Amino acid sequence: PSRRTEILNMHLEPQRNVVYLVAMCRAVPVNDLLDRASQRSDKMHSLSTLLTQEMDSHFPPYGRMQMPRPADCHTSALQTPNDKEQALQVSESDLMSLARSLLQAWVDPLAVLSTSAITLPHPSKSSISSKIQELQEHSKSLGDGLDILSGKMGPSAQAISFLPYTGGTDLGQDRVTILNKFNFLLSCLRRDSHKIDSFLKVLRCRAAKLQPELC
Amino acid sequence: LSIYLSLSLSLSLSLSLIYIIRTLHSPRKFDCRSREKETFSCWWEPGSDGGLPTEYRLFYTQERLREVRECPDYVSAGANSCFFDKKHTSIWAEYTMTVVATNALGNASEEFRITDVMEYVKPDPPVNVTVVVNSSAPSPFLEIRWKSPPDVDVRTGWVTLKYELRVKQNDNIGSETFFNFYNVYPGLLYMVQVRCKLDHGKWSEWSNTIFAEIPKNHQLEKYFWIFVFVFSLVPFLMAMYIVLLKRNAVKQCLLPPVPGPKIKGLNAHLLKSGRSEDVVNALMGNQNFPPVAAWTEQVEDFLLVSDSDEWLLTDSFASEKNKDIFIIPAGLHLGLEIQRRDLSVDLNTWEKTDDSKEEAKSNFSNMEPINLPVEKHEFLNGEEKSIQPLASTSYVDIQQHPTLTDYSRVKEVNDNTILILNEEEIPHGLDAEEVKSEVSVPDDYSRVKEVNSDVVFLEKGDSADGCCKKKEDHYTDWTNQKPIMPLESELSKGFCLKMIASGYVDSGPAFSVK
Repeated sequence: PSRRTEILNMHLEPQRNVVYLVAMCRAVPVNDLLDRASQRSDKMHSLSTLLTQEMDSHFPPYGRMQMPRPADCHTSALQTPNDKEQALQVSESDLMSLARSLLQAWVDPLAVLSTSAITLPHPSKSSISSKIQELQEHSKSLGDGLDILSGKMGPSAQAISFLPYTGGTDLGQDRVTILNKFNFLLSCLRRDSHKIDSFLKVLRCRAAKLQPELC
Repeated sequence: LSIYLSLSLSLSLSLSLIYIIRTLHSPRKFDCRSREKETFSCWWEPGSDGGLPTEYRLFYTQERLREVRECPDYVSAGANSCFFDKKHTSIWAEYTMTVVATNALGNASEEFRITDVMEYVKPDPPVNVTVVVNSSAPSPFLEIRWKSPPDVDVRTGWVTLKYELRVKQNDNIGSETFFNFYNVYPGLLYMVQVRCKLDHGKWSEWSNTIFAEIPKNHQLEKYFWIFVFVFSLVPFLMAMYIVLLKRNAVKQCLLPPVPGPKIKGLNAHLLKSGRSEDVVNALMGNQNFPPVAAWTEQVEDFLLVSDSDEWLLTDSFASEKNKDIFIIPAGLHLGLEIQRRDLSVDLNTWEKTDDSKEEAKSNFSNMEPINLPVEKHEFLNGEEKSIQPLASTSYVDIQQHPTLTDYSRVKEVNDNTILILNEEEIPHGLDAEEVKSEVSVPDDYSRVKEVNSDVVFLEKGDSADGCCKKKEDHYTDWTNQKPIMPLESELSKGFCLKMIASGYVDSGPAFSVK
């Protein structure tokens, strides 16, 4: 089925040929998969941070008060742990579910950002556009990998909260609105990518109790 | 009165205008910092407060909390600050801070928004930075180690620390707490600093500078000295080879032969006893020495001994100078059949080869060679003489007649042979005038240059000293016994025989050893 082919085409592994053989011969251990997943999420968070910095370098925040609040992010409804104690108390399945939900929620917005970046009234739009495309690729492969992982962790890990994006395909008409919306979306993305990264790294550390060097 | 009133009014007005207008300004500049993604602190800068004591209070709301809360801790982070501990810190949540300044003049407030605490994450620098120079092969390197900042909890995965190294150039480490820096050169001093970043927040300050010096590399110097050594070895080896080829010449030059007074057949034990008479007798036998005439001149002496007239002087010989005739005592007359042999061997060659001596030995057909220590009989002076070697030595004691009044006149002496003219009696001590030929008869004695087991060699030489000094290495061949030093003084006084090719000449008293 398509799932199996997706497994074989997983972009998490550096060499697909190796994955082919490995997947057919034996299963990749969960620790290893989590490690690769967290590497991917770290890359995503890094890209989103660079994006916001690149936007700010030329376009200062349009007055912090006028900007949409983070509470207005389309993923803010999702209840997530907000400090270390809370995060350590959440079960592995729930953490996985949260990460997957957030990741899934950004598939559509990333597409919108990608199309808008091409015509963005910003001097660094080509660099921004390439970063967003890279983000999309990472997001896709991470999603596939987390699907496999969640399959090993039980049904509660496979549940995904539905967080629809309702911003539409058009960011605005005038330059200021477009830039503002772009900025706002990037800030939401930065926050959510950081959440995904943190949850996966906590998961990785918990799964690797026998290998202290990972934590 | 109206003037007074107007004056006071204007004065009061002016006075009121002089009043300093004091106002209270709201605090400015708001900044926060989180060291470990668990707590955070915020600071504000007070606005002008008119010089009056002012109280500042902070109120905040969180994204999810509807209620307004006041700062839980105004003290821990210093003045004009608010510290949010773990319970009051929420990551990924927006904070809206309101700082209110209150004093006698009134209130002033300012609102600040913290979108995400993560934006203000800046850890402390790493601690325990150590640098060790590792001198192992193939090249030295710096072993740098450090520890994460003390507040940060890296064990749960909640935070991810990444390090950066600066050793005159930046090296991004990742999350390890050690690094091996290989780009080092011997003899240089390096400075090392480390800093860290929490998740993707701000970099911490650089840690303290650690210094490390790479020891000087003596390998280049080693190579240099090896090079010098090899290149100086080549000429040295060549010199050694040349020396080896010419070792004889070098030997002559550096180590001239040392005269060793060795007499074959000499009894060392006898010498040790110390009695000079014994020694002398041992050497010379019991002989009555003829009175010795004064040895005056150093003359070059030849001695030719032959039994035939054919050996008489040739022209070449006659023309030579320093021909002397030695009075050979009758006892010395060699009635031996001396084989005539033309030993045209140079004196120079005598020293080189012992083979010539062997030749001489072999030519004595009438004589049995005296092989020490065998006792042999020698024919001397036509008479059979018993030659009795000494008891424990190979020394040959040639006995002579007590009277040495019979002399033979030497007719001719050339290099190798000694001619004995005839057996006519020549009175002892004849002077030279009675000699017919140009040769003169000195009243001195011939000098024995050398005596070996078989043959007494007489040699021509310039002077007594000269002959004794020349070819001194011959003397060393005499015997394998130790040189007899005490005898040397006694014997070397006057008796120095010249070398002859064949036959024996008993010069009388002694075989001088010099």
